[in-house]
Amino acid sequence: MLTSDRIGALVLLAFSIGYGILLFQIPLLPFQRTAAFTAQTLPKALSVMGIVLSLILLFTSRNHDMPDVKGYNWLNGLMICGLMLIYGFTVRPVGFIISTGLFLILCEYVLGERRWKILVFSTMPVVLFFWFLMNEVLGVYVAPLPGFIMEMGG
Amino acid sequence: MLEGILQGLTTAVSPMNLMMVVAGCFVGTFIGMLPGLGPISAIALMIPITYGLEPSTGLILMAGVYYGAIFGGSTSSILINAPGVAGTVATAFDGYPMAKKGQAGKALAIAAYSSFSGGTIATILLLVAAPSLAAVSLSFQSTDYFALMVLGLTAVAAFAGKGNVVKAILMTVLGLMISTIGTDQTQGIQRFTMGIPDLIDGISFLLLAMAAFALSEALLVVLRPKSDADRKKEMEAQSNLGSLKLTREEVKEMVPVIARSSVLGFFVGVLPGAGATIASFLAYGMEQRIAGEEKGKLFGTGSIRGLTAPETANNAACSGSFVPLLTLGIPGSGTTAIMLGALISYGIQPGPRLYIDNPTVFWSVIISMYIGNVVLLVLNLPLIPYIAKILSIPSTILTPMILFFSLIGVYFVSFNTFDIHLMVMFAVAAVGLRMLDFPLAPMLLGYILGGMMEENLRRALLINDDSWSFIYDRPLTLVILLIAAATLVMPYVMSKISIWFLSRVEKNEVK
Repeated sequence: MLTSDRIGALVLLAFSIGYGILLFQIPLLPFQRTAAFTAQTLPKALSVMGIVLSLILLFTSRNHDMPDVKGYNWLNGLMICGLMLIYGFTVRPVGFIISTGLFLILCEYVLGERRWKILVFSTMPVVLFFWFLMNEVLGVYVAPLPGFIMEMGG
Repeated sequence: MLEGILQGLTTAVSPMNLMMVVAGCFVGTFIGMLPGLGPISAIALMIPITYGLEPSTGLILMAGVYYGAIFGGSTSSILINAPGVAGTVATAFDGYPMAKKGQAGKALAIAAYSSFSGGTIATILLLVAAPSLAAVSLSFQSTDYFALMVLGLTAVAAFAGKGNVVKAILMTVLGLMISTIGTDQTQGIQRFTMGIPDLIDGISFLLLAMAAFALSEALLVVLRPKSDADRKKEMEAQSNLGSLKLTREEVKEMVPVIARSSVLGFFVGVLPGAGATIASFLAYGMEQRIAGEEKGKLFGTGSIRGLTAPETANNAACSGSFVPLLTLGIPGSGTTAIMLGALISYGIQPGPRLYIDNPTVFWSVIISMYIGNVVLLVLNLPLIPYIAKILSIPSTILTPMILFFSLIGVYFVSFNTFDIHLMVMFAVAAVGLRMLDFPLAPMLLGYILGGMMEENLRRALLINDDSWSFIYDRPLTLVILLIAAATLVMPYVMSKISIWFLSRVEKNEVK
């Protein structure tokens, strides 16, 4: 039966095996091969420990709890993750103010806020404040607008 | 030592640092009160801000946030029975029933006074314990440090796993694995970078902490929307607090409980890995037994003792957990692990040298903890009715803000958009692990101690001509390693013993 513990054990087992395979790509110089401790030593030990421990958990776990995911709003979670990824791609080319403003407004929209006044006034002041804080107070330049508009302004 | 204390005192009471304590306590209370967000997330969110500050100022801010978050957690446990932190779960046992009886104000006041007394007594103990431990630890060598780090890791694994030690060790190993990603510290060899240039510097500790705690907790709020009934409960709780005053009898009842629980809490906090949660449960259990049959029965129905004990103990344990951090450089809990990471990024190596090289940092942190306690009592308690209003801000607005602060906190340090994507990946993984009930604090600790452990081990081997004999040649190293092994076996042995004991008692009763 796939309990929480067993699912976790299988995932971590796969991770440890993957880690173990990748560790052989760590380059070693010839004279290092005979040393007692090389860049591979700790990863090797960890990989073995990870595999052994996840196998122990897999076969000895007596915990019958199943992951409790009833009533989870998967769609919202997925959309928020998507928005964060898009934010990562847009924050530089589109500029801080527009991308962050849109990110916050869309997050609130996904979470169920529909009143546009709240959408705008709960987010934009925060965005502008942060931009001001970085540029004026801390002296770190953050491009506020898309590159082509900034260029037009000279 | 006196010179150090005075130096620390002057640093701690400088206007900037005082402001930081106040701001920290305030922000901490604010964040700690949000259900789901605990002190680890609160401190993680603060780190980007502290990067621009002096090390002692930054640490003072974080210590303030730590205290504030614990206090905020108690507030949400009492008001809406939703502990933001594991350390305040026991607070809800008696705090929430009191609030239901219309005595929320009184419960909050008891919590604040207990936290204050617990924190104060523990800070005084810290004042004595930390320097003496620091003096002893000066004679430690790299072999002993390696052993100490092993002890730190095993102790956390043994305590943090809610009885399931294997899971906690597995998570520690995972953290150690993550710490090996990037360029090897001593030989400059790239490991596990898979050709991605952004991984050459490794995964930043800030990114991991933010993603695993703040971001994943915010994502869980998105995944588990609150029902209307919950929201109604929150609105009611914050509109109906009642009086904050205590009677003389109530204070009399609290005093002995505070005295016992603060000492207990402090020593549990000092043990690596134990921390506030265990301290609060132990204190609760101990007081219930001491209270006798009649008063013990009241525990769980709104007993003053039952609220005082865990609140005192968890704050005392918070101070206690600074002892191993400041003197040995071994964090005793997830929260102090984060602070250790922050210290390292300042270029300060916590440990015995801290006491000698940076006495100002060492003492100002200890003294600001005391100031933090006063701030909590003087400023936060009267303001609680207003701070509690935060519970009525809808999560549709709060959650995007937490997401934004976490992402931007990391991005504004590295200015690398790859970090944002990496964070989302880690946060999703962390949500998955949380759902499967795998503890994340050991992972963070493994990550932070991993690099240090490897370096010390390598140094130890270098000194010993590549021979592993130092493990049994040096008595101190051997003793620490044996203790580490014992902490791993202890929970297992203890459960066997208690089962055996219970079965004997049952047999006797049958006879």
